[in-house]
Amino acid sequence: MNPSLKLILILIISLEISFKPNLWANLILIGGALIYLIFHHLSWREFLLILFFPLLGAIAIFSALYFFAPDHNLIYAWTLFTRLYVFVFLGACLTLTTTAGKLARSLEQNLHLPSKFTYGCLAALNLLPKMKAEVIRIHYAAQMRGTSLSFWSPRLYFKATLVALAWAENINQGMLAHGYRENASRSIIKPILLTKKDWLLFLGVLILVQPILFIL
Amino acid sequence: MKTIHLQEIILITLIGIIFGFIYIASDTIYNILTLVLTPIGYGPLANDLTMGIWCMAGPLAGFLIKKPGAAFLGEFLSSCIETFIMAEWGIANLISGFMQGIGNELGFALTGYRYYNTFTLFLSATTTAIVTYLYDFFKNGYNYFSTFNIWFYFLTRWSSMVLFSCLFVKLIINLLEKAHVINQD
Repeated sequence: MNPSLKLILILIISLEISFKPNLWANLILIGGALIYLIFHHLSWREFLLILFFPLLGAIAIFSALYFFAPDHNLIYAWTLFTRLYVFVFLGACLTLTTTAGKLARSLEQNLHLPSKFTYGCLAALNLLPKMKAEVIRIHYAAQMRGTSLSFWSPRLYFKATLVALAWAENINQGMLAHGYRENASRSIIKPILLTKKDWLLFLGVLILVQPILFIL
Repeated sequence: MKTIHLQEIILITLIGIIFGFIYIASDTIYNILTLVLTPIGYGPLANDLTMGIWCMAGPLAGFLIKKPGAAFLGEFLSSCIETFIMAEWGIANLISGFMQGIGNELGFALTGYRYYNTFTLFLSATTTAIVTYLYDFFKNGYNYFSTFNIWFYFLTRWSSMVLFSCLFVKLIINLLEKAHVINQD
């Protein structure tokens, strides 16, 4: 499925289930997402991570609603327990099958997001490992001078922001030097298709979910 | 209308990356708090206690760039990065990031993007607390809590927001202003 449509579909369903408590719909959505993920070669490790991550938060909400809320509503407690899993499973349908780069290109080509957003974000995202190394370097550099910059120290963020300011200027100049212009029309190297099949799938799933959510 | 340019988008994304790491680190704090609070029935309170930490990228981006949309983009992009690096909360991250971004932006919009001081940050922290609380009210089932707890959770969230995304962000901004990297017009 086209990445942009997939994102929109998942966002619509997630918003709907945020406001509509329906235990069966949650379970069906989790099942559906799981089948989709298995078709996309979900590994055991990923599956266990998906199960494990939201567990603590889900138990917290469950216990607060079942044991400690005034009307001890078991169905509602389970509904909110499973709701967290719907979010994580639906999220995995996007993040485990689509890369950030592909999604960004699709948003530009299919939804006509201005190219400066796509290329700006992609350029910066390439620096993700470098930024991580830089934050660690700032931390060690401070230690060598006998000061400790913990995660609670504004100076750490100040220094990291200074690095971000310098890098943003460098990337911007680099992109300009390579001929990038904000408002110029661009040719497309890797086209991302938006076919009739994508639209049919999108509408089909969306229409199918509504009766499950509001009637079941 | 002042539009956001390429260099600013890159800067906002880089800030989003810095805070994306902080958010992931603070997931551990969140988990420990949840473990401690669940036996006494206040498990979901961990979310409200740490909420301010998760909303720091927006105000900082809004202060650095001083254009409409900067605060929203800062907050939303860092939630996108968090979603793609490590999906502890899956797509809920993206929606929460969207709500937080709207809350952050609202505070700056209320001043007409003209005043940038501690009060602006306080306003932004307050609007973010209100917007995110309204969403969590339904999403996390706060509407089923007792009246005392509904207020208690809200006040906790608001305090966390003022402490981190107003006062703590102001400390970072003070350092940046001293270094003359924020244009002060």
